[in-house]
Amino acid sequence: MQNILSFLILIPLLGSLAALLIRPTQTSLFRWLALIAVTLQLILFIVLVSNYEAGGGFQFVEQRSWISLDLGSWGTLKADYFLGVDGMSLPLIGLAIFVMLIACISSWNGVTNPKGYFSLYLLLNAAVVGSFAALDFLLFYVFFEFMLLPMFFLIGIWGGSRREYASIKFFLYTLLGSILILIVMIGLYLSVNDPSGSGGLVHTFNMLHMSDPSNYISNTILDPNNIVTLGPFSARSWAFLFLFFGFAIKLPMVPLHTWLPDAHVEASTPVSVILAALLLKIGAYGMLRIAYPIFPEAALDFSVMVAVFAVISILYGALTAMASKDLKRMIAYSSVSHMGFVLLGLASGTTEGVTGAVYQMVSHGILSAMLFIIAGVLYDRTGDRLIRNYSGLAGKMPYFFAMVLIAFFASMGMPAFSGFIGELMIFLGAFKSNAHNGLIHESLAIIATLGLIFGAAYFLWAIQRMFFGTYDVKGNARNSILPDLNNREILMLFPLAVVTFIFGVYPQPLLDLINPFATDFVNHLLYQGRILSPHL
Amino acid sequence: MQESVDTILQGIKWIIPEIILATAFLVILVIGLIKRGNSLVKGLTIIVFAGVFILVASDLYTTSPIVFGMLRVESVSSFIKLLLNFSALFTCLISTRVKEHLSEYFAFLIAIVLGAHLLTMTSNFLMIFISIEIISISSYVLAGYAFDKKGAEGSLKYFLFGSVSAAVMLYGFTFLYGLTGTIDFANQTFTSALLDSQNALAYLSIFFVFAGFLFKISSSPMHFWAPDVYNAAPAPVVAFFSTVPKLAGLVVFVKFLLAINLFGQTSLNWQLYLAAIAIATITVGNFAALKQNSVKRMMAYSSIAQAGFLMIGLIVFLPQGIHFFLFYATAFVIGNLLVFLYINSFENGGTTTIAEYAGFGRTFAIPIVFLLIGLVSLTGLPPTAGFTAKLFLFSSVWTAFEQQGHTILMVLLIVGLLNTVVSLFYYLRIPYYAFLKDGKPAFSHNILHFENFLGAFLVVMLLILFFQPGLLMSWINKINFVL
Repeated sequence: MQNILSFLILIPLLGSLAALLIRPTQTSLFRWLALIAVTLQLILFIVLVSNYEAGGGFQFVEQRSWISLDLGSWGTLKADYFLGVDGMSLPLIGLAIFVMLIACISSWNGVTNPKGYFSLYLLLNAAVVGSFAALDFLLFYVFFEFMLLPMFFLIGIWGGSRREYASIKFFLYTLLGSILILIVMIGLYLSVNDPSGSGGLVHTFNMLHMSDPSNYISNTILDPNNIVTLGPFSARSWAFLFLFFGFAIKLPMVPLHTWLPDAHVEASTPVSVILAALLLKIGAYGMLRIAYPIFPEAALDFSVMVAVFAVISILYGALTAMASKDLKRMIAYSSVSHMGFVLLGLASGTTEGVTGAVYQMVSHGILSAMLFIIAGVLYDRTGDRLIRNYSGLAGKMPYFFAMVLIAFFASMGMPAFSGFIGELMIFLGAFKSNAHNGLIHESLAIIATLGLIFGAAYFLWAIQRMFFGTYDVKGNARNSILPDLNNREILMLFPLAVVTFIFGVYPQPLLDLINPFATDFVNHLLYQGRILSPHL
Repeated sequence: MQESVDTILQGIKWIIPEIILATAFLVILVIGLIKRGNSLVKGLTIIVFAGVFILVASDLYTTSPIVFGMLRVESVSSFIKLLLNFSALFTCLISTRVKEHLSEYFAFLIAIVLGAHLLTMTSNFLMIFISIEIISISSYVLAGYAFDKKGAEGSLKYFLFGSVSAAVMLYGFTFLYGLTGTIDFANQTFTSALLDSQNALAYLSIFFVFAGFLFKISSSPMHFWAPDVYNAAPAPVVAFFSTVPKLAGLVVFVKFLLAINLFGQTSLNWQLYLAAIAIATITVGNFAALKQNSVKRMMAYSSIAQAGFLMIGLIVFLPQGIHFFLFYATAFVIGNLLVFLYINSFENGGTTTIAEYAGFGRTFAIPIVFLLIGLVSLTGLPPTAGFTAKLFLFSSVWTAFEQQGHTILMVLLIVGLLNTVVSLFYYLRIPYYAFLKDGKPAFSHNILHFENFLGAFLVVMLLILFFQPGLLMSWINKINFVL
């Protein structure tokens, strides 16, 4: 029970190693291996949730010494194998396992070279769960980087016609982000002392110690009591900006989003699902776990900037989605727009906003998985994703149409689905912010509501063009027969639809998890931020 | 008379490894004269390098008095000697294609290691010049060991560049001798004399000396020879060139830097120039590597960039900087050898350009995965030793910035790390072609058992150094560097 988080990471890792030992000719064995691994994870996760006690703080904490190095006159370098879950990471780990299960079913048939595919898939799985559970910065960084190579090959080998371009672009953008994070990580561990260390200085990678201003070694560059100015900003502001933009690439935030449409359009359906539902969340997770708590005063300083970027992402994403001719590209841009809401909730600095941001992350994870599977269903049948080549599908594929309606309406923020709760809470926070803590002005929230209208417009317009009218398919699709959903596709879409519905009508269990985290987060942000910031 | 014999006899026990190397050099040449093409020499050379490795390792932390007024055994040079012999040993193991002039080939390898040994141990201008020439002359020959037109061209280019830079360095030495009255820069006289005469002439002569060192470590702006020479020479020789002379040059370079820094009392901020050189080297190497089609040319530019990273440890002027330099050097040697191990075996099959790796991922799955791990380590991504090494090196830059406040260090930190993104782009091209492009290898003997055995050994070392860097750092930490 104590090591349950380790097992959640170890199971896919061992599965990946096992896949390497199986002969490549036994093609069907690999998918069973992956399915068994994810199912085991799911069972362990259910055990984890049932033993989780609602409230703040970290639970299921595992801490073992990993690296302990004597650095001479500098003291000691200390990195721990340090895992734990709180009200934010628990839902995200659950989301990760659930989406991985769906992605496994989605890649059940027709994968060439399944040995390579499923071992990379399991490796990616371990890295994603590890990122959400790590509380040591070095450990987090290792998991974070570990997502790059598997994803690069998953897009680059099993992707579409321009897969090579897309995978390289994905890799370079993400690596650029992680280098920005690495620079700050080096500065942070050299500036932070582990208070529990006896005697000399202990440079620690522990994120919790980094969030406590009293642990900074005096007169280091990042010491909050020693304001070092480098150019226009203080060193701590620079560090925050580096972290923020590093994670914003992953989020992705306009104008750093250009890798995303290419990666999504070229990636195969299950890879797109993992990319949209999980990897984007790591960007937001990094802000919530690292950038904001460690540099609260800089976060408050830049909250208007963050909110402006959020609004730009929301509107730009939505407008570009509306102009997209390719269904998958439209969905990719809708992700940009929806992740902009997460950023807006974060910038508001209110409990509602932060709760909504985490809720939106979970909700978007489920909905984007659903949307990309829907795009995949069409592409599998016809090899064509252009919206204008379809019309009148509603009569031809009624079950599919029902799923599309659920996914699209839920993504628009329709009540009774999870997207509504998340966006509602984000707007509550954004409108309240000015009166409550003075961080962002209401006008930004008002402009952001336009995103909801645009969102409704492009989803409804796509439905109208593709599903209504007389049945007609053109382009590559013209000679295809379009059977309705098969059992495997129902098996993927139906659970996702049920989950988004449950979280839409009965949000309380999830809110009970997130709320203590959000309260602590906001208290820390405002309290420490105001103490440390000279002009707030 | 009796006294000087005693001094010599006492001195000898400190340089037993070098005596073994010198003897082996002669013995192997003689064997070659007696019987041409004797494969015995390869085994003998391997035994020599392994023996010297064990001998040095058994007495790693000793510091000797100055032997013959020229050489001094101390732990930094002993540690680097371990890496030199490890590389050399490895080079012998993968030198399977050399058929002509076998004994001379191995004799020259030994000669270079001997010169490198001497170079790491000395602070005497004459000895520096002699050992650099030992390395260079043997290298000129080895560079042309393919015995074709390209090899002759590469060898000649190497010779011309090498001679000019050695001459410039010698010119610098003469000025420094004139200014200080000593040819030993570790000597107290040298520092005090230089402290009194801090003028343009002294700075100019120091820059002249830099020319020779920068040539040996293939750092910008003295890097132009590397791509042509690397492209012309056989792959095992390139693996050897990219590690052995570079590391030896860096050790004597750091000693020289500490001397001219005059314990921080120098009026010229050397750190500024050195950091600029490092930034230029990293950037030039990485950006030039982007455009290469030949694998060995790409690796040549990669090794230029790596020289820039290795220099970082020296120019922070911190004791930890030297420790992290040694760690980085270890990670670099292992990663570099791993990459060349497979480049060599694919070159033996006729593959020399990156595009020819298309489709190799299917046929040679294990070799390409190991190659990928080596390249990832050179890039500096987890979970490999290269990441830990870069983390350490840049930590020392951060601390140096904090303590010394020179803005150039922050620029070095950011530019250096951002260069990782550039470097990944070309390092990834081989696996990219191998896995993502369709093609058929021109040859298909998939049985690289020996290579995979060696490769697995290096891969495990890269992983161990990532997960438990303390194993190596606890050795390195005991090294106490004094000039």
